[in-house]
Amino acid sequence: MEDFLYFFTFQDSSIAFVVIGITLLGLGSAYVGTYSFLDKKALLGDAISHAVLPGICLGFILAGEKNPIYIVSGAFLSGALATFLTSWIRSNTKLSEDAIIASILSIFFGFGVVLLTVIQKSGNPEMAGLNQFIFGNAIAILEEDLYIYGGLAVLIIITLTLFQKEFSMLVFNPDFGRAVGYPMGLIRLIFNVLMILAVVIGIQAIGVVLMAALLITPGAAARFWTDRLHKLLIIAGLFSVISGIIGTYISFVLPQMPTGPWVVVCLSLLALISFLFAPKKGVLSRTIARQSYLKKTNRDHLLKALHHGLENGKKYLSIEEIYESFPYQISKIKQSIDDLIKSGLITKNQKLIILTDEGKSEAKRIVRLHRLWELYLNEYMNIAPDHVHDTAEKLEHILTPEVEALLEKRLNFPKLDPHQENIPRDYDDL
Amino acid sequence: MMTFDQNAFLIIFTASLIAISCGLLGVFMMLRKMSMTGDAISHAVLPGIVIGFFISGSQRGLEVIIGAGILGILATLVIDWLRKKARVQLDASIGITFTLLFAIGIILINLLAYKVDLDQECVLYGEIAYLPIDLWISDSGFNFGPRITYLAILNVTLVGAFITLLFKELTLTSFDENFSTVMGLPSKGVNLALMSMVSYTTVSSFEAVGAILVVALLVVPPSTAFLWTKKLMPLIKLTCGLGIFIAISGYYLAYIVDSSIAGMMVAVSGILFLLSVLIKGKKPNFTWELPWRKSRLALEDKQL
Amino acid sequence: MITQIDNPILEIHDLIVSYDQSPVLWNVDLSLPSGKLIGILGPNGAGKSTLIKAIMGLVTPSGGYVKIFDKTLEQVRSKISYVPQRESVDWNFPASVLDVVMMGTYGKLGLFKRPGKKEKEIALSCLDQVGMMSFVNRQISELSGGQQQRVFIARALAQEADLYLMDEPFAGVDMSTETAIFNLLKEMTAKGKTVIVVHHDIHSAMNYFDWIIMLNLHLVASGPTDEVISEELLRKTYGGKLNLLTKVTDLIKQKDFNPLKN
Repeated sequence: MEDFLYFFTFQDSSIAFVVIGITLLGLGSAYVGTYSFLDKKALLGDAISHAVLPGICLGFILAGEKNPIYIVSGAFLSGALATFLTSWIRSNTKLSEDAIIASILSIFFGFGVVLLTVIQKSGNPEMAGLNQFIFGNAIAILEEDLYIYGGLAVLIIITLTLFQKEFSMLVFNPDFGRAVGYPMGLIRLIFNVLMILAVVIGIQAIGVVLMAALLITPGAAARFWTDRLHKLLIIAGLFSVISGIIGTYISFVLPQMPTGPWVVVCLSLLALISFLFAPKKGVLSRTIARQSYLKKTNRDHLLKALHHGLENGKKYLSIEEIYESFPYQISKIKQSIDDLIKSGLITKNQKLIILTDEGKSEAKRIVRLHRLWELYLNEYMNIAPDHVHDTAEKLEHILTPEVEALLEKRLNFPKLDPHQENIPRDYDDL
Repeated sequence: MMTFDQNAFLIIFTASLIAISCGLLGVFMMLRKMSMTGDAISHAVLPGIVIGFFISGSQRGLEVIIGAGILGILATLVIDWLRKKARVQLDASIGITFTLLFAIGIILINLLAYKVDLDQECVLYGEIAYLPIDLWISDSGFNFGPRITYLAILNVTLVGAFITLLFKELTLTSFDENFSTVMGLPSKGVNLALMSMVSYTTVSSFEAVGAILVVALLVVPPSTAFLWTKKLMPLIKLTCGLGIFIAISGYYLAYIVDSSIAGMMVAVSGILFLLSVLIKGKKPNFTWELPWRKSRLALEDKQL
Repeated sequence: MITQIDNPILEIHDLIVSYDQSPVLWNVDLSLPSGKLIGILGPNGAGKSTLIKAIMGLVTPSGGYVKIFDKTLEQVRSKISYVPQRESVDWNFPASVLDVVMMGTYGKLGLFKRPGKKEKEIALSCLDQVGMMSFVNRQISELSGGQQQRVFIARALAQEADLYLMDEPFAGVDMSTETAIFNLLKEMTAKGKTVIVVHHDIHSAMNYFDWIIMLNLHLVASGPTDEVISEELLRKTYGGKLNLLTKVTDLIKQKDFNPLKN
């Protein structure tokens, strides 16, 4: 508990720096990554993260120490080279995209590992800090690091925000952009630069291997909450920052643990929650929507059964009769009966079920939709009368009043369906 | 000086076998355009490896392979669930799954450090140099030789058998999956089997070359070979040949530069690959064009 | 204008097929005679490919069924042959013309068996039928569009089936190849095979096919060519989508699940 307070009240200024650093880092990566995700090129970020390793090592070797300027420049050059090579190979060979990316990723990473072991063997004491680039160690972010990395992060965020229109065009509609004269090639180049920068600063906290998560997961998770781009970016940024801070906190409390994995676990948890519980798109919401739809279809079928009873001269149906019409669905029927009573469409009198006036109207509507659709299938789509029932049975629950009006007009306010049954109108009396 | 000695031979021999196993599987992964999935699987099996180590104590054995196998299948199932039920796009499903599993693996390594003597770096890039010391000694005290070598021999035998037995199924499903389904061939089963073999090979090889660098051996030699030949059997043979060459040069270069053998192997494979692109690419000399002048080329909007 | 046949080789009953949550084929109901060259016509997005894929079991229908030789697909796979659209594969794949054609024999070989002399002979004979004998060992990446199409057809021939389903075999193909393929298909039907072809051009369709199916998200017509090619039916097929159908499809798309499925 004291740790918690100590951490979050920033009594130690170095912690404050770390938190600020992680926040900026997280935002920058989330922003760039979300665009990349929308571009369906999420795994490219993975490739670039691996590809910056040799540059980092070279920077370190040249500087003799963990000098951020050397390291960032080295990483940037390395990332840029990888990006360039990928383009070049793509235009000059018939290798498929995934093979090229996977090859560049592993080759650069391999070179990086070679350099890393060379550094290790040289016995340079500074080298201990280098390992953090592979697995991430946010706590090691120092004040002087912050200016450079923080500055770059701010640069990324500002550029993406200022030029949101251009970058969305790049991702959603590059052909259109080109057609109206935007310099798409240049925009693409700038985006790549921003991506490389985001990777360079992100791997401080999360490490090379897991960096892809910082790019992909926030956007993928945020996508479930909104369809609007600016909201998407904000939510993605939020997820990223929250995970970053929690991951850093855990690193603080358990110093032998690298930060990276904890940030990823946290992000993945947020993602999972989004996938399951987001309104409308979440798995749970969809399941609930489906269940409520099924319940509606059950209620509609019951109303129709009552209506058919009326057509056959029976003013009411007993509960037994209803159970017989829908075998094996007794509990569902009970539920439907309760729901319909609540909405005032039927009344229950001892063992008998009767349609109210509203109920009659609604029942007529459903039967009407069913028979209209049957007629439409039959007349406009050449479908035989004995094949139209099943489809109509399924669609009667979703046809809207607008479609109903169109159907009536198209079919010329018909009186009979393909089975010679009456199409009920409100003015009919049964 | 470098002389031929038994240790060198063992290391090179084992590395070659690993390169061949990975290369054989990698050819088909490349043809199916699933190279990045291979990358994902090799990351995803990490928690399985750690748990396997944990359960088996200091005895590295079957538990590890089983653990990884389960994780490989788990990863495939999770990616599938994300895509189909949760409706997440494919590349994001792969990325989220493997990073999460790898992260869990790293956390487990740290948490279980008291019992599991893996360390993070070792998992990443292995250390095949220790191979001759790590011996398989039976209960009766008989020294069979280096344990990892036996694992590699077993691996290459199983991979070889797999490829041979299912050769026509693998080829057909890689070329035209719909047609193979229509003919009644078990396309999904073949795919799952291939993924399982990749998981198994990753695990079997990680102690020597590291989980991450297995990817390089899966992807780079086949891509390199593809630049030189468009026929399948020569492609496979060239991939294996490249694998052996990489093993040999990787070993000696690592000796000269004093670095990790696995790292050097990848570096060599990279040099071969890039040289091949230079030699065999459409335009051997590239021209540097300013991005805003490329408006004529249709490839432009596909650039990174 | 839908003609039904007794003892059809292919029977499609009340078939509803959805793609990506929305219905593409509504209640298709038809039966086809054997030994005929049958064309499927319709505008883009009318469901022609989808129909073929549903027959082949590559997509699962939301309703209805398909019967081939009066049996289910599983029972008669060895008697059916498929020519997919040319763009559905990557022609950079490292295979020779012979390799691809031999793939047609794999179905009858079974798991683990290698193709042998017999399979090679079948493949060569099929290559001969499509006029590609001089290309036996050529890599498929070096072929022209017309040559690729012929290889696909040879592969289908190698399956030695009775019913052939071809998805746009005449697409992007030069005149001489088109004539050659057409003549080959005619020979096949003369020998009693049934060939169903998704086609894109009405004019040539009138000359090529004995029987024509017209689709526009639903079945507009199915019958002998001279009975089916009429201005009214062509208008129904090509004259745009049914407005109401589009609206209802939109309603269905809005739901996250498909209400038409059971």
